[in-house]
This record gives sequence, structure tokens and C-alpha cells, in this order.
Amino acid sequence: MPRKVFDGVDYDDGYDDDYDYDDLDDADYYGKAQPSEPVKETIKRGTWSCPICTYDNDESMTACDICGVFRNPLPHMNNNHDKKTATAKTSDSSSAKTQWSKTNNVEDNNHVKDGVLRLQANNKASASSSISKESIPSMESSSKLSTGNEQLGDQVSGASSRRNRMGEGTPSVEEIRPQSHNRGMSKSDLPSKSRAPYKPEKWMLPEKEGSDLNQLNLAIVGHVDSGKSTLSGRLLHLLGRISQKQMHKYEKEAKIQGKGSFAYAWALDESPEERERGITMTVGVAYFDTKNYHVVVLDSPGHKDFIPNMISGATQADAAILVIDASIGSFEAGVDPTKGQTREHAQLIRSFGVDQLIVAINKMDVVEYSKERYDTIKQKLGAFLRLCGFKDLSVLWIPLSAMENQNLVSASSDARLRSWYQGPHLLDAIDSLQPPTRDISKPVVMPVCDVVKSQSTGQVSAIGKLASGALRSGSKVLVMPSGDVGTVRSLERDSRPCTVARAGDNVSVVLHGVEETNIMSGDVLCHPEFPVPTAKHVELKVLVLDGSAPIVIGSQLEFHVHHAKEAARVVKIISLLDPKTGKASKKTPRCLVAKQSAILEVVLNGSVCAEEYSNCKALGRVSLRSLGRTVAVGVITRLIED
Amino acid sequence: MVPVDSDDLWFAYNLIAPGDSVMAVTVRKVLREAASGGRDAERVKLKLEIKVEAVDYDKVGTVLRIRGKNVLENEHVKIGAFHTLEIELQRPFVLRKGVWDSLALDVLHQASDPGASADLAVVLMQEGLAHILLVGRSMTTTRARIETSIPRKHGPAIAGYDSALNKFFENVLQAFLKHIDFSVVRCAVIASPGFTKDQFHRHLLLEAERRQLRPIIENKSRIILVHTSSGYKHSLREVLDAPNVMNMIKDTKAAQEVRALKDFFDMLSNDPDRACYGPKHVEVAHERLAIQTLLITDDLFRNADVETRKKYVNLVESVKGSGGTAHIFSSMHISGEQLAQLTGIAAVLRFPLPDLEDIEM
Repeated sequence: MPRKVFDGVDYDDGYDDDYDYDDLDDADYYGKAQPSEPVKETIKRGTWSCPICTYDNDESMTACDICGVFRNPLPHMNNNHDKKTATAKTSDSSSAKTQWSKTNNVEDNNHVKDGVLRLQANNKASASSSISKESIPSMESSSKLSTGNEQLGDQVSGASSRRNRMGEGTPSVEEIRPQSHNRGMSKSDLPSKSRAPYKPEKWMLPEKEGSDLNQLNLAIVGHVDSGKSTLSGRLLHLLGRISQKQMHKYEKEAKIQGKGSFAYAWALDESPEERERGITMTVGVAYFDTKNYHVVVLDSPGHKDFIPNMISGATQADAAILVIDASIGSFEAGVDPTKGQTREHAQLIRSFGVDQLIVAINKMDVVEYSKERYDTIKQKLGAFLRLCGFKDLSVLWIPLSAMENQNLVSASSDARLRSWYQGPHLLDAIDSLQPPTRDISKPVVMPVCDVVKSQSTGQVSAIGKLASGALRSGSKVLVMPSGDVGTVRSLERDSRPCTVARAGDNVSVVLHGVEETNIMSGDVLCHPEFPVPTAKHVELKVLVLDGSAPIVIGSQLEFHVHHAKEAARVVKIISLLDPKTGKASKKTPRCLVAKQSAILEVVLNGSVCAEEYSNCKALGRVSLRSLGRTVAVGVITRLIED
Repeated sequence: MVPVDSDDLWFAYNLIAPGDSVMAVTVRKVLREAASGGRDAERVKLKLEIKVEAVDYDKVGTVLRIRGKNVLENEHVKIGAFHTLEIELQRPFVLRKGVWDSLALDVLHQASDPGASADLAVVLMQEGLAHILLVGRSMTTTRARIETSIPRKHGPAIAGYDSALNKFFENVLQAFLKHIDFSVVRCAVIASPGFTKDQFHRHLLLEAERRQLRPIIENKSRIILVHTSSGYKHSLREVLDAPNVMNMIKDTKAAQEVRALKDFFDMLSNDPDRACYGPKHVEVAHERLAIQTLLITDDLFRNADVETRKKYVNLVESVKGSGGTAHIFSSMHISGEQLAQLTGIAAVLRFPLPDLEDIEM
């Protein structure tokens, strides 16, 4: 109901139900709109039914004939029309004014988009005239996005107009709330329901030909020194991503530094610190292609101190490779509950929603490819993985040796291994992973992993993986929590420029109009009309991992959500959850010990962009750490406003 | 008494309670009738004794403000007039109390003890974030907080990383020089996860050599490196727990507090029935003479009315009397802050009391 829009708080329910965008057809929309025509342009699309009195109104009406209720969202960018109707109806209801400004905001946003998209637009002249008219109301609009785009009215592609239309619905809701309640980018602007009216543009949807390979983000995790970087380096080399000359260079330099065995790892560990110490400190990103996928490799650090960085990598992952060192003693050290990272990594990976895992048992050459060793490892680790929540079917076990290049991209040549192992090699295993589902049809949300300011060009670029939606050059984005609005200048994937980036793609977005100080790792790029909420006080549902100290009220922890981290404090333990039924079993327990699930409230030192898990998975997963261990993992159930 | 440093002011804050009387030299604006009939406002220095009604501790200005009614006869000020005394460092004052209970005496002894000063300067850092803290005898103050965004190293951006890191270290170095005075502080600790501390230490020494920074060069040996799990303030706990730091400060209050709190948490995780927190639970435990170690923040004494204060004092005395130990945590230390979050009072028991769970907190 349009009226509900103005209520503010409970606009959520049912409002979208009556909405049908179906009859608003793209093709028709760009009819010959005459700028001067006050009444809707000619496009007669049919009728729309008034949500209140269910009278079938003509498409041309913005308000119901019978009851006078405004149609929401207002159709087309007929600003003139709207303006007129709006002014005419100003007297009708007090809400009309808001409606009008709302419309204008909508239009403005749309103009802004139009103006921006003009650069890429094919000149489908159709919608041009209608758009040019938009400039007039935009002056009156109070939207902050209206600056300077008025003149860019003219050529707008069909896609953009469609986007305009899409923008009509919910943004009208969204815009109102900030104005009427003066909350700016307040979190309740985006209830889950209101995402429904967002309709992705044509360019956002992937081409049907299927020529484009799916992108797969693969995180490589495991205990320190298990061979993650070496494995990645080997794979890149074997698949031709690193030239022979480059490889020789690495080998030579590594030998000089006395780290000859790290030659392959140097492909991923590029900084002098990492090379000198022989470890990975931050997540190394590399790209390679397999038969079915464009794979983005996220080589994570294994060291306990760098787990926050590993978490940054894990949030982007669709699938993971858990690398195990098969040598005697190392495997045991790795799975040690307190000192080893194998368990913690596996738990963290699972908590980030990864359910497909490849366990690569590396350094098999050291144990002479012994089947017994493989079986012991498989049994012990398998039990643990099952506990974590990985299904047996989605875990693949691959014995290999990165050093000797066995079982990586082709079946092993070593007789010992071949005698008892006939399974797939690593590359095949990667290919056999299920493609992850992508949320292309949601507004764009991209958590920023890293911000780089190029020295030479002075451009600011944000690197990250799109959690949902799509971007292309010229799209307008909003940086939360600073609230800066910028434009995408260009997109780069794998050091190659690309035109469109869709959900699941790991890209580097060169931004224009955003100050370097306003954007940093942990921020989120989102659609200007669908801002991501920020919060300082959240309610979480967590599972306490074993081996951690008890959590009491006042416990100080580190809160990690997507790439953001903040110091946090537990303020309330609301209830314990029964692990089997999931229902609250005890209210306000004194403390939380290992293996318990509970709902608690946490207050952060600074605000972060976060969303309820049910709305956006990427922004809803959290991990709590303290004293160098991950204490609990969970999801955000509610954002509490203070 | 003359407060010599800010810790002393803190002790004074703990000592002075409503109902006591404080005498000190102060300045007051006095209205005088001049010969011509016009009123003249003059600032007169006089010695006033006031009966305390409220005490306020100003951390930033390190001054103690005591508000109360005048009780001493004075030519300028009437008895019963309100006045606010400001006690600053190096200004003597006399405190008269109706009853000097054991806690107050304890505080006096501690204050006059010259030896047990913790005075540790800690630089807690992680990549992009640094805190400089001064751990005093009874307070921990944050002197500086530096936060920058450091890009990660991806291919061509490595140069950016190095320069950003150097800028960050430079800022921390400046803050270090500004706030850490080696004549006051026993030693300086640089703590971080990963290798940031080593990098910073290297940078520090190099710059000291290059710029001839005498304070650092002379005190090179007093800089200790400690590993923590993060650069956030609550990791200060881990710093105080580290063995090499512990050696330096083991006789000080701060270290004792940290240890006592750690024991409490250990007990809570191993045998939850032998640990309890919250005034009600602790009272019940006390009735059964079950308390072995009592942990209480000085906050509870200070803001309470006479009755509650007496109750807590009695609690502390009886615990000590029955052979237990009582730790009074300074709420300005991180362990005190944490205890305050946890209702401010906790106890480790001699024997398990499982039925405490059922009692409402």
C-alpha cells in the first residue's frame, strides 16, 4: 500500500505483494515520449490495479481514479507528468508532497544513473525525450544525487531506462524514510522485502551463450608450512600463468636468499617481508583457468597471528582447499587443538558457508606415498570435518606432492602412488566442484577487501569480491559507512580490464569521486539507493568453539565481519540454544563455555557495515576472536539501533 | 598530604568520601563593599575547610574537585556556604575523616609506599593501529591512538604498502617520543601480533641513530618486545602476563590484579561451580563462608552510600579475617574495567556451590 510507505517503521509487510512489474514491459517503455507532454507519454501499457480499491486504472494514471491513492511506484520517468499530477494532487493529501519529492528523488537517482550511464549507452533514442524532462523536477528535488546530472539527459539506453523504472519502487520507500525521519543512511531502510522491486538490468544478467566461464573463488587454507603457497605457485606455473623466465628468476633469487625450496611460493608471496621470513602474511590473489571455471586463488596465511587476514580471504571463498602436511609429526602438530591451525581453519571456512572442500594431502613424497599414512590422516581428519558440518560427499581427498609435481594437473607418474590411488587429480577435483549460486538479481554489494591508491595516476581503487548484484563502468556506487558517492571508472579483473563484473567476481574497481580517506578495507560498496546498514550494537547467534575461555558479560573480543574488524564487548547473553532443537533452553546464563550455542548482544567500539544474515549472507557472518583464538562463529540475527 | 603524581590524586579520590572534611588553600571570589558603595569582586586566597558532599575526579586535567559546605569560620566566607575545592598536584591538603576504616588505611599505606610503582609504557600495535598506554600504579591511561589504513600487498601496489607502513611507523615514533619519558617509566614494551613489533623496533632504532635521539639511544636496553594476539586495548592483559614483563612488575598492583582476574577466569572455565560473580551470589557465598578470594572494584566503594560502603568494607574484612584474600581492583586498570563489566564483584570459592546457578543474579 502506498500509504504505508509513509509510516516509516512497518512498511515491511505486504507492501510489495501487490506489485507487479510484469506489465511494465521494457520494450514499450521507451515509446515516443514527447517532452512537453504533460500526461504520460503515449505508452499505453495496459492497466494497473489499485491496491486499495482494486479498480483497474489506466496505465496512464498515477493515482487511482476511485480512491485517489497514488500508484507506487510511479511509472516511467515521466517527470512532467508526475510533476503535474503531483502538483495537482498536492491538495489531495498531505502525503502528496512527500510523494512528489519522493518521486523526484527517484527520478533524480534515476537521472544520476542515466547521466552516468550515458557514457556507455548505445543511443537508443527512444527514451531520450522522456529523460530530458527529468531535469526539471530534479531541481526541486532534495536528493543529494542530483548534482550536475541534469544536462546529461539525452541519450539513455534502454537498459538504463529500465533501471530507472526499477528504481522507482523501493527507492521511493527508501528515500522517504531518510527524509521524514532524518536518519540518513539508517539501517532500517533496507528490509529484506524491499529488495524485491529491484530489478537487475539487462547488462547485469550473464550472457546466455555460456561462453563465459563461471568464476570460482578458491581459498587455500591449512596449518603453517603445509605447502599452501608452494601448491598455488606450482599450479600457476603448470597452467602457464607464470612464464618459465619468471620462474627461473624466482628460483635464482630464492636460492640467493637461502630459501631455495620456497621458489614456487614466491609467486604468491610478493613482499620482501614474506620472502625473507618464508611465510605468507596476507592473502595472495592469483588467477587461473580450468576447464569449467575461472579460478581465483586466495592463498591464505597459516600462521596463527595472521588469522584475521585469513578471515578476509575466507569470506570471499566459494570453495576451499585444505592443505595438510603428511609428514610425520607435522600433521599431528597441525591438528593439535590448541596450537594447530588445521582445525581452526576448517571451522572458520565452514562458518563462512563453504560446504565444498578438497583436502589436499601434501608432501606425500616425504612419507613415500604410503597408503597407511593417507588412510590415518583421512580417518582422523574426516571425523573432525564431519563434526564441523562438512558432508562426506562434499569432501574430496587428494594425495599429492607439490614439490615433485605429483597428482596436480595430471595423474601421478609415480608408481607408488598409482598403485593404490586412482582418484582424480587436483585440477579435476577443482573442476568437479559445484558452481556456486550467485545473487545477481540483488542490488550490488561489494565488501572492500583492500584499497589501493595508485601513485602514478592518483586513482583510488577498491578490491573485493561482489557479494551480489553487478557493476560496470559508469555505475554509481555508495561507500558505506562514510556515505561517499562515487562512480566506477573502470573495472579490472586479473589485471585485465573488463566491462561488467557480476556477483562472485573478484575485481579491482577504480573509483572516481571518492576520497582516499573516506574508503578503507572493511567498507562496503553498494547501490546508492540500497545502502547497506551500519551498526554498533548487534545481536548474534553464535556457536562457541572448543578450547576457548568462557564468555561472560563484559568479555572483550574482536569482532570480524566480512573484511571489517572491531574491538567488541559482550553486553548481554540472552539465552542458550539447545543444539538439537535450536530453541532457547536457558535464559541469561552466567557464562558460555565450549560447544554451546547462544544468542548474545555485542557492542562494538566503532560502527561497521553489517546486515542480518537472512538479508545478505556475505555481510551477516561473524567470527569472534580473543587471545589469538577464534572463540565463536555465528551470524547476525538483528541490528540494534541505539 | 601532598599529592605528588596523578596516582596520588587517584588515591585521594578513593579516600575522600561524602561526610569527611577537607581543608586546603583555595581561591574564592569574594564580594566586598568598597568605600564608595560599589561592590567589588575580589579573588582572595584563603584556607577553607569544607564538609564534603561530592567528589569529582578529572582525569584529563588531573585535578580533584571537592564540593561541600564550609565549616570553618572565616572572615570572607560564611559557614554553610557552598564551595568547590580543587586539589591539584603539589598542593597540600588536610583530610579529616570520622572513621578511618581498614580500607582507607590500606590506601594510605599504598600511597605512601615509594617502591611499588608499575610505571610501564606499552605500545600496543597491529598493522594500521597503535595505542600508547601508560600503566601506572593504580591507573592505566591511554596516551595516544593512531590508526591508518595500510593497503595490502598485491602486485604493483607493493610500493604503496611500504610507504604507508613507514608513515604509520613515523607517526607512532613521534607519539612514542612525546609521551614516553624514560625517567619516569621503568621500561617500554612494544607489543603486537605478527612481526609488526620487530619492524617497528627496527625502524625505531634506525631513526634514533639517524636523528640522534638521545632518550632512545640511552635506553635501548629498556625496550622489550612482547607478542600479543591483537593491537586492541584489551590485549594489554597479555602484555602484563608475558613472563619478561611480569618480572619487571611482579610486585606491583597491576600485575597482581591481572593474575587474580586470570585465576578467576580459569576457575570459571574449569570448575564453574567454584566461581561466582554479582553482588547477590557473592553475598550468598559469603554467608556460607565459601569465599577464598574476593575480587572487588574500588568503584563500588566510592559511589556507594555509607551503608553500602560499610557493607562492602565488612565483606572485605571478614574475608581477610577468615583466611581468604581480597583484591581491590582499581577501576582505571584494564583488569578493573573488565571486572566492572562483570558487575564489579566476583569471588573464587573454596568449595563448589552448584545451587548458586538457580539463584537469580
